[in-house]
Formats: sequence, C-alpha cells, structure tokens
Amino acid sequence: MNEMTTSQPPAEVQAGYGFWATMAEAFREPGAMVGLTIVAFITIITLASGFLEPYPLREASCPVFAPPSLHHWFGCDDGGIDVFSLVLHGGRISLLVGTCSAVIAIGLGGAIGIVSGYFGGWTDVILMRITDYFLVVPQIPLMIVIAAVWGASISHVILTIGILMWTSTARLVRSQVMSLKERSYVRRVESLGAGHTRIIFHHILPQLGPLLVANTVLAITVAIFNETALSFLGLSDPDAITWGSIMTHAFNRAAISSGAWWAIVPAGMAVALITTGGYLIGRAIEDALNPRLRISYLSPREWKLLPTAQPRKGANG
Amino acid sequence: MAKRTDYIWNRIGVAFITVFVTVAFNFVLFRVLPGNAADRIARIPNASPALRHALEVQFGLDKPLLIQFLDYLRQTAMGNLGVSFATRQPVADLLWQSFLNTIPMVSLGTVLALILGIAIGVFSAVRRGTVADHIVTAASVIFYAFPTQFLGMMILIAFSGVLPSAGMVDPFLLDNSVIGQAIDIAKHMIMPVLTLVLTLCAGNVLIVRSAMLETLGEDYILTAKAKGLSSLKIIWSHALRNAMLPITTMVAMSLSSIVTGSILVEVIFSWPGIGQALYQAVLQRDYPMLQGGFLVITIVVILFNLISDLLYYRLDPRVN
Amino acid sequence: MNSLQQDPSPILEFRDLNVWFEGRHRFAHVVKDVNFSIRPGELMGLVGESGSGKTTTILAAMGLLPAAARVSGEILLGGRNILAYGPGSVAQHRWKDIAMVFQGAMNALNPVKSISWQIGEAIRAHTSLRGEDIRRRTAELLDLVGISPASGKNYPHQFSGGMRQRAVMAMALACNPRILLADEPTTALDVIVQDQILKLLARLAGELRLAVVMVTHDLGVVGAVCQRAAVMRHGAIVEQAAVPILFSQPRHSYTRELFSAIPSLSAAAETRPPPPEDHAPLLEARDVSVVYQRTVSPGDLFRRRQPQPMAAVNNVSLAVGYGELVALVGQSGSGKTTTLQAVLGMVPVIQGSVRIGQMETTALNARAWRPLRRRVQMIYQDPYESLDSRYRVKDIIEEPLLIHGIGATARERLAMIEDVLKRTSLTPAEDFLYRYPHELSGGQRQRVAIAASLILKPELLLADEPVSMLDVSVRTGILALLDDLRRTERMGILMITHDLSTAAKYADRILVMHEGRIVEAGPTREVILSPRADYTRRLLACIPDIARPIHAI
Repeated sequence: MNEMTTSQPPAEVQAGYGFWATMAEAFREPGAMVGLTIVAFITIITLASGFLEPYPLREASCPVFAPPSLHHWFGCDDGGIDVFSLVLHGGRISLLVGTCSAVIAIGLGGAIGIVSGYFGGWTDVILMRITDYFLVVPQIPLMIVIAAVWGASISHVILTIGILMWTSTARLVRSQVMSLKERSYVRRVESLGAGHTRIIFHHILPQLGPLLVANTVLAITVAIFNETALSFLGLSDPDAITWGSIMTHAFNRAAISSGAWWAIVPAGMAVALITTGGYLIGRAIEDALNPRLRISYLSPREWKLLPTAQPRKGANG
Repeated sequence: MAKRTDYIWNRIGVAFITVFVTVAFNFVLFRVLPGNAADRIARIPNASPALRHALEVQFGLDKPLLIQFLDYLRQTAMGNLGVSFATRQPVADLLWQSFLNTIPMVSLGTVLALILGIAIGVFSAVRRGTVADHIVTAASVIFYAFPTQFLGMMILIAFSGVLPSAGMVDPFLLDNSVIGQAIDIAKHMIMPVLTLVLTLCAGNVLIVRSAMLETLGEDYILTAKAKGLSSLKIIWSHALRNAMLPITTMVAMSLSSIVTGSILVEVIFSWPGIGQALYQAVLQRDYPMLQGGFLVITIVVILFNLISDLLYYRLDPRVN
Repeated sequence: MNSLQQDPSPILEFRDLNVWFEGRHRFAHVVKDVNFSIRPGELMGLVGESGSGKTTTILAAMGLLPAAARVSGEILLGGRNILAYGPGSVAQHRWKDIAMVFQGAMNALNPVKSISWQIGEAIRAHTSLRGEDIRRRTAELLDLVGISPASGKNYPHQFSGGMRQRAVMAMALACNPRILLADEPTTALDVIVQDQILKLLARLAGELRLAVVMVTHDLGVVGAVCQRAAVMRHGAIVEQAAVPILFSQPRHSYTRELFSAIPSLSAAAETRPPPPEDHAPLLEARDVSVVYQRTVSPGDLFRRRQPQPMAAVNNVSLAVGYGELVALVGQSGSGKTTTLQAVLGMVPVIQGSVRIGQMETTALNARAWRPLRRRVQMIYQDPYESLDSRYRVKDIIEEPLLIHGIGATARERLAMIEDVLKRTSLTPAEDFLYRYPHELSGGQRQRVAIAASLILKPELLLADEPVSMLDVSVRTGILALLDDLRRTERMGILMITHDLSTAAKYADRILVMHEGRIVEAGPTREVILSPRADYTRRLLACIPDIARPIHAI
C-alpha cells in the first residue's frame, strides 16, 4: 500500500498516532473548529436556558404572531408566546433526546460490533443477520409503528430512536475490529499470553476511540433530526417543547398562511446549526482516520518547474 | 468453490427472509404487546365484556396465537391486509391508490437527486481544495442539515402565491384535456419534488464526493494518468467506475432517508400518497392501515436493496 | 553488449535533476543533483533503500510528481529537454515514449476492468487502431509477455502475482515505448517468479531495444540483469558504474555496507560449522497437519454440502534444540507461517504432536496455553505493524510482565525493562523508555519487539521473517542479535525466511518447505552445497546472482 507514498511529502504531513493525535489532526481542519464552536455555543446556551429565557413559556407575553421586535427578538407564536424563549427551552429536550439516543445507539452498536467482529463464527453470523434486518427496514415507518402502538412520550421516543440507530455503528465497528484483530500487534499480544478481555479493552477498543467519538457526534445530530420528523408526524410527546414540536406546532397553527415565518425559522435553524456542527466534527475525525484521503492523483494543481536551482524558502531541509 | 451466481441466490433468499420477518414483526407488534388487543384493534376503550368478547371472536383473537399467525400469513399472502377503520374500505385498495400517486413524485425526486448528486459530487472531488469545492461542500452540508419539513415549509413560504401548494390536482380545474391535467399535476409536483431533491441531493453529493476522494488516491489512478489518458477518461472509466461500488452501497443504505423524506414531503404538501396515508392512519389510530402501510414500504425498500445488491454484483467482478 | 557500441548516444539522460517537496514549514530536498543516462537496449539499475529518492527520480521523468514537488534540472529524451515547459511538456511523452511498470501490480491495475480492456485502453488513447486491430494487438502483447491471449478477459484478482506483473508489462509496451521505467518490479514476488520476470525484462530489452531503468533495493537483482547501476542515498547518487566493476570494487563506503548485508550463498554455507549435537530437543513436532476450514454458510446448509477443507500443512516434522538456530525456507503460501502458528498453539492441529520441552501442547486449550507462553515467544515480520502505536516503549515491554504477573513493584519491573533494553542494544535506556514506536526507526522497533519477548526469558523463539521489512543496512544488526541470543542464552530459534542466503549465513540447519510439506531438511552446508530435492535445486538456481547474469537474448 505505501510503496507509492515514497513519492509523497515527508513525515511532517503524516498523521500522528493514538486518540489525541488523531483529534489534533482532525481539528487542524478549519471546518472542524467551526463545527466545535457551533456545537459548544448551542450546548452552553441551551444548558443556561433557565437563566436566559426572557419570557414565560405558558402565558402570552405579546400579541398573536407578533413579528420580531426589539423586545421579542424572534417574534411570537400563535399563542402570543415568545419564540426566543421557546427555542432556548426546546433545545434542552432536543439535546437530551439526541444525546441519550446516541449513547444507546453507540453503546449497543459498539458492543455488538466488537463481539461480532472479535469472536466471529456463528455469533457473528447471527448478530449480522439481525443487523442486516434492522439496516434494511425503513426506520421512520418503523418508528411510526412503534410509537403509535407504544404511545408517545419522550422516553419512548429516545428508546425507539436509539434502538433503531445502532446498525450502521455495529457494521462499522465490526469491520474495524475484524481488521484490527488480524493486525500483527494484536497477534503479538495474543502470543504473549494476553486474554480476550485485555486484548479487547487495551488494544482494540482504544483504537476505535476516535471513530466512536465521530459516530457519537453524528448520531446525536441524526437523533435530533429524527425527533423533529417524529414530532412532525404527531408521534412525539405532545407536552414536551422541542425544536421539532415548535416547528410542527407553528405549521399546524397556520403560521405559513399567516406569513409568520419567524415562528418556524429559529427552531429550524437551530436544528440545522447543530447538525452542521456535528457533521463537520464527525467528518473531520473520520477523514483524519482515513489515510487514503490524503492523496489525490488527479489534483487540479501540478508540480512546478523551478527556473532557479534553489527553492525560495531555502534548501536542504 | 462457491460459484459467483450463489451470491444472487443468497441475496434473494435473504430478501425473502427479511420480508417474512417483517410480516411476523407486524403480527407480533400489534397482538402480543401488553394491553388488550381488542381495545387497541377495535378502538373501544371501555367496552362491556360482552362487546369485547364479540370483537375478539370477530377478529379471531380468541384462537391460539399460532392459528392466528397462520391465518394472518395466509390473508397477507393473498393480498388481504384488512379493512381500514377510518374508511371501512380494504386497506390493500387504499394503499394501491396512494402508492400510484407516490411513484411519479418520489421517483422523479430521487432520480434527479441521484443524477445531480453524482455530477456535483464528482466535480467537487476532482476540484478538491478549490473555491468551487468549498462552496459545493458548504452548501451540501447546510442543505443536508435542514430538516426536510423545515425546507418544505420555507419553499412553501417562498412560492405559495406562485405555485399550487397542496394536493396533486386542482379540483376546480376547467381544462379537462389530458394535456391540461398533466400540466396541472406537473405544477403541483414542482414544490414537493424540489424539496425532495434539495434534501436528498445534499446527502448524495457528500457520499459521492468522499467515495471519489478515496478512489482518486488509489494506485490505479496513477497508472491511468501514466498511460496518458485524458482527465475525463480517468474520471469516467477508472475513478467513478470504482467509486460506484461504495456509492451503490451508501445509496442503498440511505433508502431509509429517502422514505423519511418522502413521507415528510407528502405530509407538508398534502400529496395523496402512501406517506400521507400513513400519517392519516397515525392521526386516526387506524391500525390496519398503519400495519399495511409499513408492510408495503418495507417490501419496496427490501426490493430496492435487492436491486442494489444485483447492481453491485454487476459492477464488481470480485463479488462471490 | 554489442548494441551499446553501435549506438552510443543515450536515449534518456538526467541532468542535474533536483526535486524538493514543499512541506508546511520547509522544503525537503529529496533528489539532489542526479545525473545519469541510459542507451537503447540497456538495463540500468537504480539502487537504494526506502526514502533514498529513487522512485521520485523516475516519477519525475513521467511527470507524475505530486503537486507539492518543485523540480529543477533537465531530462533529455533523445536529446530534447522534456522538462523545459513544465508538467505539460512531460505529459505528452507518457506511454508513447516513456512507459512505467509500477510496484505492486495488484494496486496498479483497475480491479473492475478486464486485463485486455486495460491494455486496449492505452492503445486506443495513443494510436489510430480501433476495434479488431486493438484486439489483435492486445493478444500480441499478452503473447509477448507470456500470457495466453484468451485469459486476457480475466480480471486482475483472478491472476497470480507474477501474471499480474506480466500484464502490467504488456500494458506498458502497448504503444511501443522506447524507455521502460520499472519500480521494484519483482519486490513482492517469490524467487522463482522473480526469476521469470527478470528473464522477461532482459528478453524485452534485447528484442525491442528498450532502455530499462530498474529501481530496486535488491543488489542481487541488479547484479543478475543490469549492465550498469547507480547507488542512491539520501537523494543523491553516491556511486555509478558498470555492474561488474561496481560489484568487484565498490568505491563508496555506503555501497560496501550494502554488499556486506547480502552474504554470498556458497561462501556463507561453506563457513558454517556443523550443527551442535543436542540430545534433548527443545521443540519437537511430529507429523503435524493443519487444515483450514471455511465456516458453513447458509447456502451450504441449503444445498447440504460440506465446505471443503484445505490442507495448509501436511505431515510436517521438525525439531529445534537448545541453542540451535533452524531456518524454515519456502515461498509464500508454502505453509511456513502456518507451521509457526501451529507450534505457537494459535491454529488447531488436526493431527500429529508438538512437544515443547517434553510437554505435549496440541491438546491444550487457550487458557492452559497461557503459562506456557512465557517459554515460547514470537517475533513478527513487520515491526511497523507489530507494536501498538499508542504504547510507549516502556509499556510495550512491561505488558508481558503484567500479563504473567512478573515483578511485584513498578520499580522492580522497570529494572527488568532497562536490563532487557541494554541486552537489545537500545542504549541508553532512558532515551527509549518513553518514546512511541513511530518515533523509532524500523530496526529499533524490531529490537523493541525482541526486547518485549526476551523479558519473559523464553527458551524458544519463533521468528517470522524478522528482517524482510527492514532496510538492507540494518538487517545484519538484528540477525546478529538473534545469533547472539542463542549463543549466550542457549535459546532455540526457529526462523522463517524466504531468503536462502540469510538462512545460509545464520542457520545451523535448514528446512525447505513447499506446498505444505517439508521437502528437504539437513545441516546448512549440505542443503546449500549439495541439495537433494528438485525443489531446493530450483530455488537455488533462481536466486539472482552476479555470478550467473541473465543475459539479454
């Protein structure tokens, strides 16, 4: 594989090793820093929403569908409730749903992927058949069916989203573990006499660290995204305020025909922002892990001929 | 040695098993969950014991579970998906009509999103690191990040006066000619298709771009360049041809999001398709419709997965 | 050789070629003032270790350098400077005048297109031939490199390594180039296949009057086929001369160092003392067989068929005594690694017995094996892969102690670690304890891996090609370390190698393995100097040697 890399720029461009080195490499990408800033900003604001909400959420503080103004930055909804306060508050449950579902999904997917990939054989065959099934079944319709039968509440929504999202993580982790298991450093440790527990927890799991972080970040955003869809289809907790329910509510109360875009846009932008942030972070980590992305043989730039004998920055590195 | 054609039979077998599991899952979910099945199925929460018993007999709920299951299998296989609670019409007929309405809108949106996604993704990967690439990537990430229903609402606000915003046909249309009706449907389709294309295309661009970037780093690209081929030939016969393998897999894996997008789009624009039917079924707690809709969507997705497997088989000579 | 005198003007000439790579903060100077030339029909070797700039040099002639490259100097093709106008002026000569054979034919071929298609594509791009003519020309080319034209419809993965290399050569010849640049064309191949490819190259150079530049790290290859050679180090050519002169009187110290790392086969064998007599063998394997079984797939169940088992090792018997170094020689796929795995208890043995210090190990399960692992240790081939990149040297060497519960306190363990670092010449120990593998050179990494095994004080050391991934100049050190261990610590060593000359220099006895069986076993002297098995003789005949040059016909 690396025979041709001899013609590539030398070591300083190559990635480092280990968890923090990968993270450092990932966050060297400006996009990742933008993503981190966005996610951190939204998380902090949301956590502090109790102190920041300017108006009450259960009683009217302004006229119906009042447009944005100095006092009500994002305007008001159909009940005369301040949209800014709603979006701040809604972030809490949206983020909670996102985080909890992601933890369930990554925990389940990671565990199944590791067991399946490491032990192989029939365990692998059975686990992967189950994974394949969940991978093929369309998730939202399944969520609709489960939520419809099970009843709508936030904890049910979290569980449903979490349980339906683990499959891609399981596949990814499995393939990584299968290749790690065959790497000679693992075989060497095995021949030193190490047991399965030691190999998995000391030598395989840590290598998966950055990948799992990337996956978790992406899963959080996907979960938030899915909650808005469930909410739009009337399957989320009707009493909970989430970014999804704010949009749904406004849509159902004719915000569009009233021209009250401000009742929809802030919540939608909040979802878009956190998804963008999460995507940028997750993507950057995955890219840092993939050495193949560092080379392109069809680059629009070409090498250059120097008229002089020495390059400008000084020779002999 | 396993023969190459074994792969096809294997995939077809798996597809059938998946359909069967879905049917079984449908059965179990609606009958075995805690709570009284008659309550759920008949939607009469406080029925008298006599009425409840009558209902149980009517739905066959008094029989052993296995008999119920076999019965259910037989009925499903014959295309009998039950009767809708809301309209008292056969579920299969209702779903078929909705399905016919869904096909043109969703297939147009999906195909457009795919073609545009591949074209833009390839362009962006080849021009990696240029301003154009940065713009394309940023725009794709942002559109990928907008919830579908939000995008739909924004498009509704933007075009509400210009284009019809709900339904598939104008009930007050005066022009009864075929062309007039076709134009009417086409007009109704613009906004839902646009929404679908925007959400799906962004995801496709990102998938294609990263698949292309991976293949562009492969040694055979360097060989192709050394052979003195033009960039266009390198991209077409070598880079994209190989990138089609991960792209096929990834697009198949995103079928789920196509379904999600379609359901949301149909709900926003009141398109009388299968997503809308599912939505109405949820609102009216119309369980037979819900069950039937889920089954139909799942079978369609499984079918497309099978198609993608066969396509992969055609594209990759190494599969066995 | 005659042709050289008739046509003295060089077809390709490098004049003061310099290449820099632009990094984030500085320029790395990777090719420095390179000058050499080559004539039609001539085979020229460009020798050097990894990172010496040899591949970059020939990529410059193809115009295939990465965007970060800055180039100065001239490359003359038939007297005209093709570098004169930058990338564009080099590109137009690709394949028509200068073609290239890349290292690693597997990756150099497009996996989803047939071999014929890929050859035809080059013809279509550069000639006016179409349709049937292309088919005919492709068949002709395949025939030329010794592939039956009918198998051109196959895909790369259906070809063996040697066949792929031939296919790549057919592709390179598609447009009748005058110059062929070959980057390590035989590196991943077994000796016998390597021999065939080298003969083919020599034949093509003669028949087609091709000028061939062959980049390689293997001096033996150069000696066997090249007329002239240049030795590169740190981006510069340190010495270039006609091969007989270079081999008989190397002037530069680096060249001499390279030669000292490749012992001459017969000379090494002649100096071997007879193997020590040891009555209590340390390792004794008798009639060992290992079978690889595919897992049952759903399709198999459906068809009621059993997956066919594949014998990997067949009735192998071997013995290693205390203080003895035994070499297990064979091509890839001959079952030598599987044999080692079987001795190590990492693959199930279906038949036969393995005894380590009188203890039967074939019936032991994974748990029962663990205490025994202290006594048997393994050194892996690739030191870049065999150390966990997240562990510091100290942690890597400490891990076996923790696994086996040796050393009560951290201080006690540290003392043992420092001691073992000293024994593997990683001194001063403080310099190495807290470094990560990627901060070490390949040779140092392999020493760390050996240290992590030594700390358990094993009696038996299994080594799987311990130096094949290392640069030639550091190989000797590692092999000398192993040699020293078995003398001073009375360790028994079973070493896998594909390289007969290494075996000849260090082993007491040699076992030759072929298709899962041991075809010849005996003291080094006898195996090398008077081989009995046909296969051993064939193997010996294929080792590239300056004494037996492969002449262009």
